[in-house]
Amino acid sequence: MAIIEARTPLQLDSGPVPARPMGVFARPTTEQTGWKSWLTTVDHKKIGIMYGVGSFFFFLIGGGEALLIRLQLARPDGKLLSAALYNQVYTMHGVTMVFLVVMPMAAAFANYLLPLQIGARDVAFPRLNAFSFWCWLFGALYVNSSWFLGGGADGGWFNYAPNSGVLFSPSHGIDFYSTGLLIAGIASLVSSANLVVTVVNMRAPGMTWFKLPVFTWMNLVVQFLLLFSLPVITVALFLLTFDRLFGSNFFDAANGGDPLLWQHLFWIFGHPEVYIMILPSFGIASEIIPVFSRKPIFGYPFMVFSGIAIGFMGFGVWAHHMFATGMGPMSVMAFSLATMFIAVPTGVKILNWLATMYGGRLRFTTAMLFAVGLVSMFTIGGLSGVSHAFAPADTQQTDTYYIVAHFHYVLFGGALLGLFAGCYFWWPKIFGHLLNETLGKWHFWVTLIGFNLTFGPMHILGMQGMSRRYFTYSANQGFNLWNMVATVGAFTIAVGLLIFFANIAVSYSAHRKNPVPCPADPWDSRSLEWMVPSPTPEYNFAEIPVISELDEFWHRKYGHDENGRLARIAKSEDVVEVGGATGIHLPSPSYWPIVLAAGMPFIGYGVIFSLWWALLGGVLVIAGLIGWVLEPSTDPEAGHDHHEAPVSDDAPAGELAEAPAEGAAAPELEEAPVG
Amino acid sequence: MRKEPHIHRLRRVAIGATVAGSLLLAGCGALRDDSGRPLTTLNPKGKQAQSIDDLVSPVFWVAGVVFVLVQVGVIYMVIRFRRRADDVDGVDEPVQTHGIPALEWAWTGLPLVVLVALGVLNAKTILDLEKTPDDAIDVEVYGQQWWWEYRYDVDGDDQPDIITANQMVIPAGRHIHLKIRSNDVIHSFWIPQLNGKMDSVPGRTNDWSIEADKPGLYQGTCTEFCGLSHALMRMEVKAVTADEFEAWKDEQLKPAVKPADGTLAAEGWDEFKTNCASCHQVNGMSYKFEKETDGAPDADYGDGQVSLTSGNAPNLTHLLSRNQFAGNLFALHTKNGEVNEAELGSWLRDPSAMKPMAADQFRGMPNLNLSQDQIDKLVAYLSTLK
Repeated sequence: MAIIEARTPLQLDSGPVPARPMGVFARPTTEQTGWKSWLTTVDHKKIGIMYGVGSFFFFLIGGGEALLIRLQLARPDGKLLSAALYNQVYTMHGVTMVFLVVMPMAAAFANYLLPLQIGARDVAFPRLNAFSFWCWLFGALYVNSSWFLGGGADGGWFNYAPNSGVLFSPSHGIDFYSTGLLIAGIASLVSSANLVVTVVNMRAPGMTWFKLPVFTWMNLVVQFLLLFSLPVITVALFLLTFDRLFGSNFFDAANGGDPLLWQHLFWIFGHPEVYIMILPSFGIASEIIPVFSRKPIFGYPFMVFSGIAIGFMGFGVWAHHMFATGMGPMSVMAFSLATMFIAVPTGVKILNWLATMYGGRLRFTTAMLFAVGLVSMFTIGGLSGVSHAFAPADTQQTDTYYIVAHFHYVLFGGALLGLFAGCYFWWPKIFGHLLNETLGKWHFWVTLIGFNLTFGPMHILGMQGMSRRYFTYSANQGFNLWNMVATVGAFTIAVGLLIFFANIAVSYSAHRKNPVPCPADPWDSRSLEWMVPSPTPEYNFAEIPVISELDEFWHRKYGHDENGRLARIAKSEDVVEVGGATGIHLPSPSYWPIVLAAGMPFIGYGVIFSLWWALLGGVLVIAGLIGWVLEPSTDPEAGHDHHEAPVSDDAPAGELAEAPAEGAAAPELEEAPVG
Repeated sequence: MRKEPHIHRLRRVAIGATVAGSLLLAGCGALRDDSGRPLTTLNPKGKQAQSIDDLVSPVFWVAGVVFVLVQVGVIYMVIRFRRRADDVDGVDEPVQTHGIPALEWAWTGLPLVVLVALGVLNAKTILDLEKTPDDAIDVEVYGQQWWWEYRYDVDGDDQPDIITANQMVIPAGRHIHLKIRSNDVIHSFWIPQLNGKMDSVPGRTNDWSIEADKPGLYQGTCTEFCGLSHALMRMEVKAVTADEFEAWKDEQLKPAVKPADGTLAAEGWDEFKTNCASCHQVNGMSYKFEKETDGAPDADYGDGQVSLTSGNAPNLTHLLSRNQFAGNLFALHTKNGEVNEAELGSWLRDPSAMKPMAADQFRGMPNLNLSQDQIDKLVAYLSTLK
């Protein structure tokens, strides 16, 4: 009693730091370095890097699964994999690539760049951000642990009922799928709320909505899509878990359930999910093409509104995945017509990218090559998409390799090429050195050729009647040639990926040998992240910039001459921050996000195997929550003193007409969030 | 001043694009050929498939034009506006265009107009494909792991009079109205040359149509993932003339004939009753194991007694009137017209070795551990089911 009366843990007053009550651990400090600092970090940049590393790790797994699929199908009557194993491999390939590669890689960029692009020091809730990452990682490892615990899920990533029921899939693979995606879903849901709040609340002074970079806009749309679509898949996964593990009958027609309920719920999530995967890459292309064309993005409002329109329309077209389920002609017509018109905002984006390049002065760095590759390849995926918006045509195309070709042109030709573009573009900002351009170009061309060799022939295979999810085919079906070509293509892509990894290693060791500091602005770029030193200092901005233009950083470097041509008004070096700032208050690291997240997979194992595991998981979650709540805010009074080194104070007066006066940032924005 | 060499290069690009485009068109023409491609969607042989093709052709053309325009646009931008070695920074800088709203509205509006036009065509085709004439012939289609069953009600009493599997026989030139159902998971019925696909969904009856212009064999395949042997769940439609169809029906309506006593086939019938009849129906012979009937098939054969998850195994009454068995996978006849005893025997010996199934979970045909003697007898009996 005496202790409580003396001081409650939540009482955080100034003055000497009080003795900690029992059970409240000290917070780790930012002075920590090495691997421990990664486990406890709440820094959006470190979290972004970890998302990136994690997604490439799972890319290797999902890519390996893709190669197994292609080896099995290289020739008719393939014997490499049994039907049972093939079904697991293709299912896990889809699950891995969607949930463990494309989404987290996009999350890596969103995490790293969103605060920088809006001129903030971190996201709104840094500890929640760390929790999102660990929750995703543990969920991802948990799903893949199924390989060692009785086999992977074997119902396809779409996992249609009732084939997903215990009667038809008695192994635990689909239980790992349902509980694992629930865990990963928690991660994405928390992260989406976090990033929405960040973009809405933490923009630098003067950064109105229409001065937001297109990348940030597209990611904001994506976060809203996640926020509204994840609850739907969560419901579906809960129903599935209950059907499989607790004997309910939501999808069992014989007992009054409906298998189509799963399809509706799945695709109400699943279609927005397509845009969740592609819009971040649209954002990346919209950053890179202007920089290397030396022109502003053509039709900024159209780019923004078309992205928003795609987001809205994405929620109204889910049943186009179900044209062959017998929904009735009126439903089919409504969804068919609605789907056709998504082509309009998507087409606007492609034409605006082309118009951005028109009249520009294009520098073909690797980043630009990948971005232009996206424009070209995504167009193919978009056009094949229009062809199956026509419901009667879709009844010939759906569930064939034509669809496989289509969505790989969207997700590889669109999303992944964009993400590779982003890797080359932002690598210097993140790691402080450039990637090797020669190897980068090899990476691009080998990938582009391999990609088209793999997925181009699949259009033909589909139109010749080869269905998806076939573990084999017969020699007399006419599928031999193009399957072999696709397999050769898949290994070409693998070579491309190896070149990328080699590039990372080569560039890193070259930088180690000859550590020339990378300039803050190596590409002569436009948005705020290029104003801070490379690699980004922990506090991001020494001074929060005051924004008066779209592409604020560019406008601090360039004006127009009387003919509307570009004219330099200041050197990059004179505009960028110099770093070395001290005394900036940043959120302290925390042990609790990883503890809380670590409980999740144990709850999953508990639901599948024995509830005792769930008890352990529950204890971790509750301990994590309590620790989280009671965690002291380290020295809340620290860091309020204004640091000494103002930015670019050696720049001649007058040259930086738009630069903010020293200390002009509003005092409340000086502080990073402590949540 | 710098334009001349670019124009040369552009001309070369234009020539290249024309050549590539012609090759592409020639390739598309070749794709339409169905020889060696029994499942192609590009060679319609029936009314419904034709109207889909009539819809998709203009869509492909529009898409093709857009494809060429965008790709040529990309290549043009890349070549024409590439930074050149002699560019001077600060001098050869691009004009800073932020957008041309009129242009952007135009390329928002133009696709809209094209899509509205195609949308009308789309809506019309969707409604056209729904039409079923009064004289359509009904066939019930049941999907189950991993084969298809067809039921014909010949006398209009709502009870099936013919139950057959894998091969659906229809008269050419007649509209066939399919009622598609499932006995276990979702499958999808698809004969690409006759129509698109329609799912068989548990608890639902989905209406679908096919019509073959001419007599012939039309291959099909299950195209909604349905588990282990999804890839090996095939079927075919045999379109025949009206007379042949009537003759086929008469033949199918006959019950099976009991083999003469003392023959190997008669011993096979005894084996069949012990080992096969709990799942497989032979009209007029195996009804409820011992009780013989008038020869009409039982729609609920083995109800409550069959251990299969789907509750259903192929009706074998006129097995040899079909081309293939086990999900239209293996030929029932050799090239010289004899019964394919080798593969029938292999199948009876170990079905899962020939087609992946989950017999231990009551899905697919189990391995009955038959002796060679039993297999010989059974094959002899099956050879009488013509």
